[in-house]
Amino acid sequence: MKARTSRQWIVPHEWMVLPMRQVEWIERKGRLVWLAEVFSALGMGLYLVALIAGNWWATLIGWLLIVLFKMPLHLFYLGKPLRFWRAIPPFTKAWKTSWLARGMFFSTVFIAAGFVQLLMSYIIINGVASGAALDGVTFVNWIASILAGVFIVLTGMYAGFAMSYCKSVPFWNTDLLPLVFLLMGVADGLALLMGVGLVTHDVDIERLESISRVLLIVNALLIVVYLAHAWRRRSVAKLAARDLLVGRTALVFWIGIVALGIVVPLAISFATVFMESDIARPLIVAIVCHTIGAFALKYALLKAGIYKSVLPEAL
Amino acid sequence: MRWGMVINLAKCMRCHACVAACRVEHFLPLHVTWAKLIAHEVDEGGVVDVSTYPVRCNHCADPPCVHACPTEASYRREDGIVMIDSDKCIGCRYCVIACPYQNRTFLSKDKDPGYFPGYAKTGFERKGRKLYPHQVGTTEKCNFCVERIDAGMAKGRRPGIDRDATPACVNTCQARALTFGDLDDPESEVSKLIRKYNGFQLRAEYGTDPSVYYIDYRIGGAPSNKAPEHARTGYNMKHASTVDRDAARRLGRSTVKGEAKQ
Ligand code: SF4
Ligand code: SF4
Repeated sequence: MKARTSRQWIVPHEWMVLPMRQVEWIERKGRLVWLAEVFSALGMGLYLVALIAGNWWATLIGWLLIVLFKMPLHLFYLGKPLRFWRAIPPFTKAWKTSWLARGMFFSTVFIAAGFVQLLMSYIIINGVASGAALDGVTFVNWIASILAGVFIVLTGMYAGFAMSYCKSVPFWNTDLLPLVFLLMGVADGLALLMGVGLVTHDVDIERLESISRVLLIVNALLIVVYLAHAWRRRSVAKLAARDLLVGRTALVFWIGIVALGIVVPLAISFATVFMESDIARPLIVAIVCHTIGAFALKYALLKAGIYKSVLPEAL
Repeated sequence: MRWGMVINLAKCMRCHACVAACRVEHFLPLHVTWAKLIAHEVDEGGVVDVSTYPVRCNHCADPPCVHACPTEASYRREDGIVMIDSDKCIGCRYCVIACPYQNRTFLSKDKDPGYFPGYAKTGFERKGRKLYPHQVGTTEKCNFCVERIDAGMAKGRRPGIDRDATPACVNTCQARALTFGDLDDPESEVSKLIRKYNGFQLRAEYGTDPSVYYIDYRIGGAPSNKAPEHARTGYNMKHASTVDRDAARRLGRSTVKGEAKQ
């Protein structure tokens, strides 16, 4: 048996030959995609938990995060921004196969339904309508809340589906990715809702904290499972996992995601259980850390998008 | 009808003529390349052998780029050619990421500085831009010289047989390593080559069913696929990888352990 080593190289097109990172969605103008995805998670999480908790101001902020940050950032990223409408059904039939077209549809429906929900619940809260009109408003609010709730979840998850569709990027190519997007987003939303609660004083922070504790532990386990799953798969997925754990993205992973995104908020959350004094300050620290963690998570995920090489004998 | 290409790796001599022909044919912007050459080296017990792979869009039968495109700017014609309508493309780059063969390029402004950066466009470039607008902000890739195929067929010519209906890279290859034709026709030259030499597709495991096939002595799998030693692509190239320091540096970076050979 003769040992055989294969190497692949060439001067101008090494991206096809070696396992290379995707750059379109994370470098240069691609950083807009990263930011858009962060605001997508923050907006989705905040809107969803606020809708369930019945906090009008927080739902408004969640909705605004999508309308004023996520969508414009995506728009500015496009090579031809003025043609954006081409990606929105019914101007395209690509939704049958394209997760981006579906995402545009989900976001559009959410923005419309969210607007109606905000308007109707404002009318209800402030007693603008009464009698039969109030019944109508309540009914519309109910329908709009369901629609907005469903479509904000889809809005927060579609990028996970879009990324997991890419077979040549093994680290993304797993059904776990949309779940990561959803659960991390909800945890971000809980943190932001506590922040809103500190200002409006109408949020049961203790209850949110206990939910947040569980979710943070679930998310930590999810990250472990995700990385273990990538590690077990041969080749490039393992390479990406190694890149996160000990490679060029390790700092973002350990400090951004693990320390700031999970450990610090979790530690503060447990510590506040035993705190007699004012918990506002540690809570603010936890919320800020958690939000930095949200930025780090999307950054690391996009950075870990490493292609398999084109030739069959490479990694 | 499904247009396809067979690339004989044993014949390719890495002259880059196909890359140049494509560039001239389509007036490609300075930093954009549709047809490319990539090199692959195998070290068997100290014997280093280099093969060159001409690559271009595979015009996949089940193209992820088309499925990913949110605007239907990417589409597959009935004859199997995968196209991009630059007037519909919004430049989202999802197709660039979804193409498992990394064959798409987003044309950003800096990739198109003109053939003589800092100077006005030449008459040649201006004329070229009328034929091929190359819109900045959209995505591009090899189109199998669809304009030659369509114009040629309109004149009754046969792609793959008559030069004026055949892709420029195929016409220009002096080693005759590229063959073009109808994959659906069992009597076409491409179908015969695939059958005879066990043609294989790159990364068939993705299920994309590429229309570009390769024939080679090494990775087609079957013994009949072996070219004689003197015909191997790397036969005269062993020297290159040992003297080129830059290549050696890359080799060091890209060492990959392969399976032991029986
Ligand atoms: S090679 Fe890439 S760009 Fe070409 S058809 Fe296949 S997936 Fe699309
Ligand atoms: S960059 Fe253009 S061709 Fe590619 S997916 Fe987006 S709209 Fe479609």
